[in-house]
Amino acid sequence: MSSNFRSWPMTLLLGFLSLPIIVMMVYLFVDTVTDTTAGSLIPDRFTLEHWRFLFDAPQAGRSNIWSVTLNTFIFACSTSAIVVMTSLTSGYALSRLNMPYRRLLLGGVLTLHAFPTVTLIISIFLMLQMTGLYNSLLGVILVKTALELPLGIWVMKGFYDTVPWEIEMAGLTDGASRFTVWRRLVLPQVHPGLAALGLFSFLAAWSEYILPQVLAPDGASQVLATYLQNLIKDDRAPDFNMFKSVGLFYAMPVMIIYLIFNQKLMNIYGGGTKG
Amino acid sequence: MRRAHLLGLGFMTPALIIVFLFFLAPVVLTAVFSFTSMSSGTGISGGAYEINEQTLRSLTDRGFPKAKSEKLGHDLYRIGEEGLGAVEADFGKAFADEIRAELSGELFEGRRDLERELKKLRSRPRSIRDLKKAADLFKRSVLNTRFESETAFLDGVGETGVELTADDQAVLVKTAYTGWSWTTANYELITSMASTWRAAKNTAFYVLLTLSFNVGFGLFLAITTFYLPKGQAAIFRAIWILPRILPPVLYVMMWKWLTWDTGFLSIFLSNFGVEPRNWMLNSDINAWVCIVLINGFVGASLGMILFSSALRAIPPSMLAASEVDGANRWQQIRHILLPQLQWPILFTTSYQTLSLLTSFDYIYLSTDGGPGRSTEVWALYTFHTALNNYGGVLQYGLGAALALVLVVIGIAASLFYLRLFKFNELVSQPRIEQ
Amino acid sequence: MTKFTHFLRQTTAVAVLGLASALSGQALAKDLTITVWAGGTNDADIYRLDAIEMAADILSREWEIRGEDLNITVDKKRDFAGWAEFKQAVTLAAESGSAPNIVVTSHLDIAPWSQAGLIVPVEDYVDMDSWPLNNIYDNLMEITSYNGIVYGLPQDAESRPFFFWRDTMKAIGYSDEEIDALPAKVEAGEYTFANILEDGKKALEMELVQPGYGFYPRPSNGPDYAQFYQSFGGQLQDSETGKLVLDKQAMTDFYQFFADAVEAGLTRKNHIGTEWDQWYAEVASGKAAMWHGGTWHYARYTGKEGLDDFFGNIQFSLIPAGNENGRANTITHPLAYLLTAQEDEEAIEIAAQLIKIASEPRINTLHAIKSAHLGISHEQSNIELYANDRWAAEATERLLPHANAQPNHLNYGKFSEAMFKGLETAWTGTKTPAEAVAEVEAELTAVLGDDLIVR
Repeated sequence: MSSNFRSWPMTLLLGFLSLPIIVMMVYLFVDTVTDTTAGSLIPDRFTLEHWRFLFDAPQAGRSNIWSVTLNTFIFACSTSAIVVMTSLTSGYALSRLNMPYRRLLLGGVLTLHAFPTVTLIISIFLMLQMTGLYNSLLGVILVKTALELPLGIWVMKGFYDTVPWEIEMAGLTDGASRFTVWRRLVLPQVHPGLAALGLFSFLAAWSEYILPQVLAPDGASQVLATYLQNLIKDDRAPDFNMFKSVGLFYAMPVMIIYLIFNQKLMNIYGGGTKG
Repeated sequence: MRRAHLLGLGFMTPALIIVFLFFLAPVVLTAVFSFTSMSSGTGISGGAYEINEQTLRSLTDRGFPKAKSEKLGHDLYRIGEEGLGAVEADFGKAFADEIRAELSGELFEGRRDLERELKKLRSRPRSIRDLKKAADLFKRSVLNTRFESETAFLDGVGETGVELTADDQAVLVKTAYTGWSWTTANYELITSMASTWRAAKNTAFYVLLTLSFNVGFGLFLAITTFYLPKGQAAIFRAIWILPRILPPVLYVMMWKWLTWDTGFLSIFLSNFGVEPRNWMLNSDINAWVCIVLINGFVGASLGMILFSSALRAIPPSMLAASEVDGANRWQQIRHILLPQLQWPILFTTSYQTLSLLTSFDYIYLSTDGGPGRSTEVWALYTFHTALNNYGGVLQYGLGAALALVLVVIGIAASLFYLRLFKFNELVSQPRIEQ
Repeated sequence: MTKFTHFLRQTTAVAVLGLASALSGQALAKDLTITVWAGGTNDADIYRLDAIEMAADILSREWEIRGEDLNITVDKKRDFAGWAEFKQAVTLAAESGSAPNIVVTSHLDIAPWSQAGLIVPVEDYVDMDSWPLNNIYDNLMEITSYNGIVYGLPQDAESRPFFFWRDTMKAIGYSDEEIDALPAKVEAGEYTFANILEDGKKALEMELVQPGYGFYPRPSNGPDYAQFYQSFGGQLQDSETGKLVLDKQAMTDFYQFFADAVEAGLTRKNHIGTEWDQWYAEVASGKAAMWHGGTWHYARYTGKEGLDDFFGNIQFSLIPAGNENGRANTITHPLAYLLTAQEDEEAIEIAAQLIKIASEPRINTLHAIKSAHLGISHEQSNIELYANDRWAAEATERLLPHANAQPNHLNYGKFSEAMFKGLETAWTGTKTPAEAVAEVEAELTAVLGDDLIVR
């Protein structure tokens, strides 16, 4: 930035403070393909043994990693899709359309955003039970969607707000309906927002642990988060190398998204979300 | 209603339905539940009526006449025509006749004895379940029988010949009911239990510490990376966004690996003669440091991003000018950078206060409130009470009351924030009236 | 999208099933899926689930001989993060009507779950006078009963002994013979908690163990702590009225012991919450002089922790008496097979048959020996695998005759939770034992009301 300040002391300091994360990340990768003698920090053998879990048949009473992975994909993709679709329409309505209770709805969205559903989980369970969705992936998807929706709507509204009114007015003058104007002219303008929100809700669902754990304990709807946590909590098998391999496998999509969209993510999170 | 209205409402409908079903309805239900004694013992969907040993004891305590409760406590099986008729209908004439011949008029205390007798008969049903059902047809008491409705229960009691006064009946029905009832006891418990106060204190402590860390460290990161060359700054920002983006289960697992007694820190420090120990759970202080750091790293990255983007809005000429004026770095931060960050800081603070108040996933996954209960915050305490404890005693009612406290705080704070951030100015009127 | 996948799965399942029954060519074939969930189950306890599968095999053979076709698919599940998550899952699943057919859980769940109608009495479905049920220990059967009704079948038995590290005991002056005689002295009430404090201090002074390792208790809540309450004369349930009992004197003495142990440096102030992995490794390597645990720890000590000579290194006994008011005791906390309420009556009946067969001495022995639990029935001592196992034999003889169980009471969970919370506050020094007991009393009176007798 400014040349008359020396920057290396700062780099050093930041580097030092970042050490915990750097150490954790380096070992996350290294430990999945090596073995280390107990009491040492330096790995001394190369091995692929920690990745057995991908190919071995699951232990009795445990879930199969591939079906769990499929579930996680279904969960994250569906949540993302529903959040995007509903936010697209609601965001537009709140940003541009004249309708009754608009202020109330907007305020409501912001207020809802303030308390996460997890504290209401008993009642949510009851709602799922009434609708027959308890213990199913679909139920978890809907609840997670409800959790992400306020933020999604708010973000989309922000994107719509930046679209110039002139575009819409021009469309209306040409005789198109409000709906057509939205679909043909406004939607293309908010593509970046759409992608960002889609990505964000995908990540949020991919990471979710408590909802699937409580609302879908059945083996058929396990996701990677619960799979990994159940392994970790099994107190007779504290094998961190294996945990890390499973963890890395679990985090793979996250890492890929991170590498490709690093800069974009900064912007989305900059849009304000949970801490 | 105008078409734009319809379109608007139509556009809102999907979101409204989801939010209503899984957000608003649960809030209302939580409020309702908080006034019930619902627990895993009472069930959620309602109870049945049953007299058993436990009920009989409670009956005596509640002033139900001893003679009557003793009579209700008999588990009687009488071989009479009524039962025989039923057996004949369900299991055939041969079996009924055989029972009549062998056991007519006999009285059994408890089903096991009758079963043993029935098993000796030649024409008995093969399935043991059927044999038991047959035995049940001779039952002439209500002990240990579950009745789904109050009328059925009272009819059953009536058949035993026990005469009930209106008072007796009220006591009996109340005691025999296994389901939940309306109560305000949950709120009394919240105010009177030491554990809730501890949870409240922990929560205040947690929010305060983590928030200061988030904002302070986020500021530090944003300002330092602001001064670094572009490439370096990008690397550090990339590193510090990791805690935010990694799935909590994995992120916390990495912390466990770092802090375990056989983990990185212990092994590393043993080179300096420090005894290996569990740096996460060894003491209250260890646990708090871990909790604050685990949550703080996540929160600080959010702060960093917000603050960084605000700093980017500062015109470079302004900084250059200040340097020409001979301002040192501290003065520059103090007079140019920080004023720019006023609103983002306020926003982060208010936003994170709420999310810290209600979120507990990182604590649940790392210390789970331990050691002891020293890091159990209100939200986690609610979760433990309602859904997650070693004994499996799920107190839905009490849990709902605890959750409602958070909901009320959340709503109040949000309303306050809406005012603080001038919500009214955010709502601009649509410019197309159509 | 998900609906579609779900639909796909279902159609495939239907097609496969249809095909299977077409191939078997039997019109009367009965296909059934029995779901079994087991809590707190590790690799070593896998026979809790596998036994049901073996039973299914036997039962379908029996049907086949009778000329009927029964295909049971046993759907086993044990991956729950812990007991808390398991109980939560079972409770909620049962509330929503999708409970597993069989659950393997603590006998303490019988009271609340039967009251809520989540489980059905096993005695309604099987003949309790028939083999192998008539061979199961009566006291275990009593533990799986509530209100005089047999709700579950005992799945395993265990007991929670007190352990001494022989080398440390020797170094503070006990001869080998004296150590061998310790269990008898404990049983007779001659070796009490006062001796534990004394011996622990000696070990500490001689620097045989580090501070905090003189007495090394279980690091989390568990039935074990009720034992100490009993050691000091506490009674959990009043046999006359069936109410829970808070004996203030016993509770105070019990808390006081832990406060004293901390004071003397025998036990760490922040001991609670120590990770189990660390805990196991430490006690199995002699870092602690005295500790308490469970019979199944034997499998862990000699297995994963690599303690080859258990009997040469460790002595075990009942939990000693605390003072003249109490007695040496141990608590057994059997797990039980429970049957959940289901719409399909026939599924319950078959599930009942399965848990009955799984209780066969030979099948249960597989579990008992593999996981170092104790047997459930008399005949198991006539099975070689069981009889030849020194641990099973000695532990059964030394501990089981004196074992009692925690009461099946609707509110026992709350009682136990409060008792432990109180212990924590006294242990960590937040409150004095007397204050802690006062707080427990206040809380229990508020929560339990009529169900509690305070002495």
